[in-house]
Amino acid sequence: MDLELTEEQQMIVDMTRSMLEEHSPIAVVREMEDDPKGYPDVLWKQMGELGLNGLLIPESHGGGGQTLLEGALVYEELGRAMAPTPHFVSCVMSAGVLLEAGSEDQKAEWLPRIASGDAILTPAWLEPERSCGEAGVALAARAEGDGTVLSGRKRSVPFASSATRLVVLARTEEGVDLFLVDPNAKGVTMKQLLSQGREPHYQIDFEDVRVSAKDRIGAGGTGWTTWDKVMHRGIILLAASAIGGADRCLMETVEYAKERVQFDKPLGAFQALAHYMADASTNIEGGRVLVQEAAWNDAQGRSIRRFAPMAKLFCCETYRETTRVCAQIWGGVAFTIEYDQQMFFRRAKHLQLSWWDTPYLEELIAADVLD
Amino acid sequence: MDFDFSPEEQKFAEEVEAWLVENHDPEVMDHHRENFTQLADTPKRRAFMKKLAAKKWLGMSWPKEYGGQEIEGVYEFILNEALSRHAAPQIGKGVGIIGKTLIRHGNEKLKKEFLPKILNAEIEFAVGYSEPQAGSDAANMQLKAEKVEGGWLLNGQKMWTTSAHFADWYWVGARTDPDKPKHDGLSLFLIPMAHPGLEIQSLPTIGKDTTNQVFFKDVFVPDDYLVGERGKGFQMISEALDLERFTMFTLSPIANRSEALVEWVKKARRDGKPLKDDPNVRRTIAHIVTDTAVAKGLSTRFVCAARSGGKPPTIESSQYKLFTTTLSQRVCKDALDIQGHEGTIMEGQDEAPIRGRFEGAYRATMNETVGGGSSEIQKNIIARRHLGLPKNF
Repeated sequence: MDLELTEEQQMIVDMTRSMLEEHSPIAVVREMEDDPKGYPDVLWKQMGELGLNGLLIPESHGGGGQTLLEGALVYEELGRAMAPTPHFVSCVMSAGVLLEAGSEDQKAEWLPRIASGDAILTPAWLEPERSCGEAGVALAARAEGDGTVLSGRKRSVPFASSATRLVVLARTEEGVDLFLVDPNAKGVTMKQLLSQGREPHYQIDFEDVRVSAKDRIGAGGTGWTTWDKVMHRGIILLAASAIGGADRCLMETVEYAKERVQFDKPLGAFQALAHYMADASTNIEGGRVLVQEAAWNDAQGRSIRRFAPMAKLFCCETYRETTRVCAQIWGGVAFTIEYDQQMFFRRAKHLQLSWWDTPYLEELIAADVLD
Repeated sequence: MDFDFSPEEQKFAEEVEAWLVENHDPEVMDHHRENFTQLADTPKRRAFMKKLAAKKWLGMSWPKEYGGQEIEGVYEFILNEALSRHAAPQIGKGVGIIGKTLIRHGNEKLKKEFLPKILNAEIEFAVGYSEPQAGSDAANMQLKAEKVEGGWLLNGQKMWTTSAHFADWYWVGARTDPDKPKHDGLSLFLIPMAHPGLEIQSLPTIGKDTTNQVFFKDVFVPDDYLVGERGKGFQMISEALDLERFTMFTLSPIANRSEALVEWVKKARRDGKPLKDDPNVRRTIAHIVTDTAVAKGLSTRFVCAARSGGKPPTIESSQYKLFTTTLSQRVCKDALDIQGHEGTIMEGQDEAPIRGRFEGAYRATMNETVGGGSSEIQKNIIARRHLGLPKNF
C-alpha cells in the first residue's frame, strides 16, 4: 500500500497547476461565465500543447496514453481552477465513446484532432422532461435508405457552439444508438440556455436531420452500453474535479478565517466555525482517496462499477456541503457577486446535478450491492 | 500508488485468516459483544491470546533485543483488522502502549519484568488516564502521587478504566509535581491491580460490558515502578498514542456490520415484498456502502502515512477516527430505521432481526465518538494542526 505519486505524476500535477494559475485565473473564469463560447483560446491552446487534451487518448491515436489515475490528478487541478474548457465533453466523453465503439476510420479521423484540440466534439444526451438513464434517451432516429433521420430536442449540451461534431444519443428501433452529427447540418438549430455553473449550455433541435451510415458509432442498439461504460470512467474524473474545487474553496476560507476578526478574535478561533472546516477537510481527504482508489482500480484493469458512482456521489456532496459551510464562514459577503465564494457555491451544485445526479448514482450503487 | 498489500503482506493476511477460521470458537469470538470483543477478559479469551503469542504474533514490531521481529507496524494493522473482523480479542494496550513505552523509557527492572510477559500473553493491563476532572482535558489529572520513603503514595480516583475488573496490572497517570504546569507535573506508574489500596467499582453501561471507576487509598508504589522520567508522563502518553497508530480503532467491525445489514436486506421481506426493492432502503444502503469505502480510504491513508516513517500521522488518524466513528453510529441508526418496529426487539432474542445485532450495536457504539478522544477533540486537532487555525478553547 502506497499513496505516493510517482515523479512523473507529480510533474503532471505541477505543470497543470502552474499552467492553470497563469491561464485560468479567477478573472478569466469570471469573464467566461455566460460567454456563448465559454473558453479562452489561449487556455485551450496551452492545454493542447502540454498534452492534456490527449492525455487519456492512446499514443497510437496521437495522445499521451496515460491512465485514469493521471487523469484524476489533472482533473483535481481543473476543478481547483474552475477551468473553463470543453476538455471533459471532448477529450473524455466524446473521445471515450469513439475509443470504445468507433470504427477505425472514425478513430483515425477524430482522435488525433481531439488530442491536439483542433476539433471539439460534445455529446448531445439529455432531453426535456426525461431522465439521465437509458430510458431518458428518446430523440427519434428513423432509418431511411442506408442512413438515419433524427428528430427531437436535446438539452444542456455544453460547448455546442464550438463543436465540430455532436455525439448524439438517439432512439432507434434497436435501442439507443450514437451518431456523429455536424452541428451545421440542415435541420439543426441551437440556442444558449444560461446554466447555474455558467458553462455555455445549448438546447438543440433536430428537425429531420440526415445522418449517413458512416457516422453511426458502433453496432445497432449498443449505444447505451457504450455510453454507460464511458460515463463510469468520466464521473471518476468529475469526482476529482469536485475535490479540487472543494479543496480550494476550503483553503481560501481557512485563510479568511485567520484574518477576519469579530468579538476581538479571528473567526477560526471559534469552535463552531473551526469544526465546520475540520469536517470539510476530513470529507475532502476521504473523497480524494476514494477517487484515487477508483482511478487506480481502472488503471489496474479492475472493475469500477461500484467505485465510480460512489466517487461521484461522495465527492459532489462533499463539494456542495463544503461550499455551504464556507459561505457560512464568509458571512454576508459570500452572497455577493463581488466575492469568489459564490462561484464555487454554484458550480458545486451544478456539478452534482450534472453527468448523473444523486438518485441515479444511488441506484447504480444499490443495484450493484443488492441485486 | 498502490492500494493492495504487498505479496508478503497478503500472504500474512491469508495466514492469519486461515488460522482464525481454524481456531474459531464462539466463546472467544462473538460479534454481539461489539466493541468489547477486543478485550481478553475471560480464561478462554486469555488462552486464545496465548495461542497468538505462540504464533509469534505479539510484539512483531518490537526491536529484536526485546524479543520482537522488527517488522513493519503494518503487519500489526493487518493482524488487528483480522482479529476484529472475527470478533476476537485484539492486540493493543500491552504490546502497543505499555510495551513500546517501556522499551523506550522504562528502567531495566521493568523491561525485564514486563516485556517477556507481554510477549507471552501472560499479562493483561488496565489503563488509567481519565478522572472525574480529566475527560477530554486529559492533562488535568488530579490523582495525587506523594513522595515517601522508597516510593510514592497515591490517593484519588480514576474513571472509565474498562479492564480494571480482570486486568493484572494498572498503567496509571498521576500528579507527582503539582506546582509545575499541568502538562509537566504528571508521571506514569505500574501498579498491581490486586493492590489492597485499590477499590474497583463497576459502572454498568448501555453497551455490552461494564466499565469501572477505581479509588486509590494510600496506594504505595515503589520507586522502581515509576515509568521513565518523573514529570514526563503526559509526553509519554502522547508519544505512545503516536507510536500505536497501527492498532488503534479498527474498521473491520463497521465493514462487518455494513455487510451484515446488506445480507439481511437482501433476504428480508415486508408486506410480502422484497425489502431490497424499497427505494428508501436502496438509497440508505448506497450511502452506507459509499461511506464505508471512504472510511477504508481514510484508513489506507493513515496506514500509508504511519509507515512512511516521517512525522506521526496525527492528522490522518484524527480524520480517520472522526469519520469512522460517526459512520459507525450512523450504520446502526440506519439499520434500525430500515428494520422499523422490529428493530426495537432487544438483542439476544431469536425474534429480533439478526438476533438484535443492530439493537445492541446501536447502544454499544454510542461511546465511540467520545472514547479515545472525542469527535470534538479530533476536530480541534485537525483545525489547529492541519488547517493552522488559532487555538479555539
